[in-house]
Amino acid sequence: MNVSIFGCELSGLVTAGALAQTGNNVIALPIGNAKVDELSKGKMPRNEPGLTKLIKNQLKGENLTFEEDWRKAVEHSQVLFLSVPSWRLNRAEEVINKIGRYASGEVLVINQSSFPIGTADRFEAKLKLAFAERGLVAKVSVVAMPEFISEGSAISDFTTPDRIVLGSHDLESIKRVKDLMRPFNRITDQFKVMSTRAAEYTKYAVNALLATRISLINELANNAEHFDIDMEEVRQGLGSDSRIGFNYLYPGCGFGGPSFASDVKNLVGTLQSKGYDADLLKAVLSNNETQKEVLFRKAWRFFNTDLRGKTIAIWGLSFKPNTSTVENAPSLRTIEALVAQGAKVKVYDPKAMPDFTMHWRGIGVELVENMYDALEDADALFLMTEWKMFWSPDYALMKSKMKTPVLFDGRNIYDKEVLMGYGFRYFGVGRGERV
Amino acid sequence: MGVEKSSAWQALLEHSKSGVSSEKLVNLFKDKTRSERFSIDLQEMFLDYSKNRITDQTLELLLDLATQQQLPNWIDKLLSGEEVNDTEHRSAMHSALRAGGQGVKGKALEVQGQIESEFEKMSLIVEKIRSGHWRGFTGKPITDVVNIGVGGSDLGPLMMTNALQTIKSPINLHFISSIDGTQTSNILKNLNQETTLFLLASKSFTTIDTLSNAETAKDWLAEVLDDSDTLLSQHFIGVSTKPDMMSEWGIPKDNQLVFWDWVGGRYSMWSTIGLPIALQIGMTGFREMLDGARIMDQHFGEAPLSENIPVLMGLIDVWNINFLDIHAKAILPYDARLKYLPSYFEQLVMESNGKSVNRAGEKVAYKTCPILWGEVGPNAQHAFYQLLHQGTQAVMCDFIAPVERDDFDAHGLTEKEGSLRYQHELALANCFAQSRVLMLGDDAIPISIKEQFNSPFKHYPGNQPSNTILLKSISAKTMGMLVALYEHKTFVESVIWEINPFDQWGVELGKLIAKETHAAIKDTKKAEEFDASTQGLIKRVI
Repeated sequence: MNVSIFGCELSGLVTAGALAQTGNNVIALPIGNAKVDELSKGKMPRNEPGLTKLIKNQLKGENLTFEEDWRKAVEHSQVLFLSVPSWRLNRAEEVINKIGRYASGEVLVINQSSFPIGTADRFEAKLKLAFAERGLVAKVSVVAMPEFISEGSAISDFTTPDRIVLGSHDLESIKRVKDLMRPFNRITDQFKVMSTRAAEYTKYAVNALLATRISLINELANNAEHFDIDMEEVRQGLGSDSRIGFNYLYPGCGFGGPSFASDVKNLVGTLQSKGYDADLLKAVLSNNETQKEVLFRKAWRFFNTDLRGKTIAIWGLSFKPNTSTVENAPSLRTIEALVAQGAKVKVYDPKAMPDFTMHWRGIGVELVENMYDALEDADALFLMTEWKMFWSPDYALMKSKMKTPVLFDGRNIYDKEVLMGYGFRYFGVGRGERV
Repeated sequence: MGVEKSSAWQALLEHSKSGVSSEKLVNLFKDKTRSERFSIDLQEMFLDYSKNRITDQTLELLLDLATQQQLPNWIDKLLSGEEVNDTEHRSAMHSALRAGGQGVKGKALEVQGQIESEFEKMSLIVEKIRSGHWRGFTGKPITDVVNIGVGGSDLGPLMMTNALQTIKSPINLHFISSIDGTQTSNILKNLNQETTLFLLASKSFTTIDTLSNAETAKDWLAEVLDDSDTLLSQHFIGVSTKPDMMSEWGIPKDNQLVFWDWVGGRYSMWSTIGLPIALQIGMTGFREMLDGARIMDQHFGEAPLSENIPVLMGLIDVWNINFLDIHAKAILPYDARLKYLPSYFEQLVMESNGKSVNRAGEKVAYKTCPILWGEVGPNAQHAFYQLLHQGTQAVMCDFIAPVERDDFDAHGLTEKEGSLRYQHELALANCFAQSRVLMLGDDAIPISIKEQFNSPFKHYPGNQPSNTILLKSISAKTMGMLVALYEHKTFVESVIWEINPFDQWGVELGKLIAKETHAAIKDTKKAEEFDASTQGLIKRVI
């Protein structure tokens, strides 16, 4: 089948690669900063495991072409994916306008982007009007198929999904999407078909629920400190309750990333503009912003509110492991807070340092090439992202490099007994010593 | 010889008796050029003083009086930092605070360096707090700042931050002033110790009102924080002319902002006392306010007396008070953001000129400062305007209104914006209508409905004088101009009356006696010498 994909961010690229791999003839058109030249050479805007290989193979097999000519992209296919970041709604409107102008027959638009609820219906009405104005008699359908991919595991999330949420009122469209996605729906039927708006809302609801769960577990962990309770023990007790389970139950220094928080924020904003206040979700968001500085606050108290001249080592900048992105990452706020107090900061991250230099405009931060170099003369270490390489470091080497062996663990990955055995002061989130 | 015996004063007296004082404003307006001649523009400010019972000759004689009283010389002395506050042997250099090093001489020039270096320190503190990097004891950013101060250490920042409330601030500001502590207990109920910072603003750092509220604030913090060093270093900033007193109280050096004894309390908003203003609108905004005031300073120093806004307003007030026998003045802003402007001017004007002894220490034989009060105009229309229109007191009024509004999009197309535009027009219509009716009285009634007003209860005498000040909009700049205008206008009057506007001995005795009375409440034996009424009251509260 011929497929056109508008948007070459992570979701668009994964969709393009996976659909090309299963035999479709795919044209992908970037919207935003990605350039066709670079993409055509296999240079990906994001450092996602397996993505470069997938795209290069499809380019070689000529199942996939990157295109900048709108008209070609529209005329190529009757199945068109919208895969645009939520904050680029206006660009998606342009895509719809172009489809309305150039499409010559039946059109099925599959929207993967997180736009305000009701956008798919609105786009469908807009296309119908455009067709009517041109006197074109052809079927138009816009369906919602929100993406649930995560950075770091995006390809497997797409090709072996937990579920495929599909929102449409049109049986014919549902049939066509199901056929297109058949290769990724092999083991059991993963399709959850529902109304268009329900599908759009499901995406928001999932993120809202997960964000709330993280913020709640963080709050429980922070509170546990006041009672000298180790949250790790409590986590075991909580997770083993089958009503609760272990997923998303790790306390830490807050969540970040490009879309997770912004989906919740957009939902809160939409509701507010309608005159409703989403109290709980607002609290979840502000709680998370506060949590991003949890290690800073511990150090602030540990060093008696005076961080001037202190050297703080930071391991991990990306908002989670296996991604090169620092957008909304706790590391940014933490580093800003440290530098504002006059501390020197030395950072190491295996992948995210280039992206960090794009986001960080301040001074006072030294990027080092080796995780142990960051510890040179450090008064304390902040562990902020749980990259695998940080899990079992050489504790003796760490201690010999640091001025004072003090570790603030933002992801609770270390064993406090072991660290204390090496002579470290250890502070986790809801565990370890209390400042 | 008092000024009342001087030739210029006598000439005015004669002039007033010649019929001008009873002349009806409605007749004066037969001169079609009057409003144009009796109004003046200065950048974003416009003053219409034509609705005063004055003629060209009145103005001429008033200017003669100003010249006789050596007003230009006094203005020069004030602006160059000479010792104009003779009872306290100080200069009054509020203008130097906003000069920004430009166009100043004498002592006012010498202090420019120390002013700028203190503003730089203030700027760092402002930036740190506004950017969320001033941390409370647990490391959370400060979100709420409570200014504890009274009089000049309270009213200026309170008035100005309210006036400029449309400028969105990252910090929630609160003000505590009154000695009774009810504001304190109420405000603290809604705040969190982790994220609250107190500003102790006191010129002398001995003001009992401020220090007693500060102790309560300290106790409140100590409920959750044992470490008194952290409590003081992260939760208190001091602003005072007395660094030693601040240190003694426990404010660390880094948290101290100073100003100087040559800044009067009621003129101190332009100094580091303006910290809450800078927290609200940023240091850039604060400097815009200073710039606005500097425009007025330069105008006051350079414009000829006959075109000098503070001079004209001051002289016209003198005319109204001393020659038309009007002893009350109402400040009537037609914008709810200027809610505290009347209170601010009450202090500025009445604490400055509420005096009955001249610079030589002799009792004056004429009236000085009027009773001044006010209220947001549209609200006051439903309160005391009845008295303005039909009472037995003559009252002079200052109407103040912004031409444009920046709190909504004036060209916006939404219904709400349309409604706000309509409300703004209504406010201006009311402002202009009231000054017109006060001036014309019954003559304002349209002929077509005259019949309906044929009743002694519906009689409007009119002839109440007023000024109208229009500001382009309410901004840091125009507010700076407006406040500086009233400061200088007040000074002009003091020069005519030969009084020192920069001391305030009248408020000292009460403070002293309050101490003695407090001792008597603690130990009733000490009350035995008191009058029976005071003794009786003390008995009721112990």
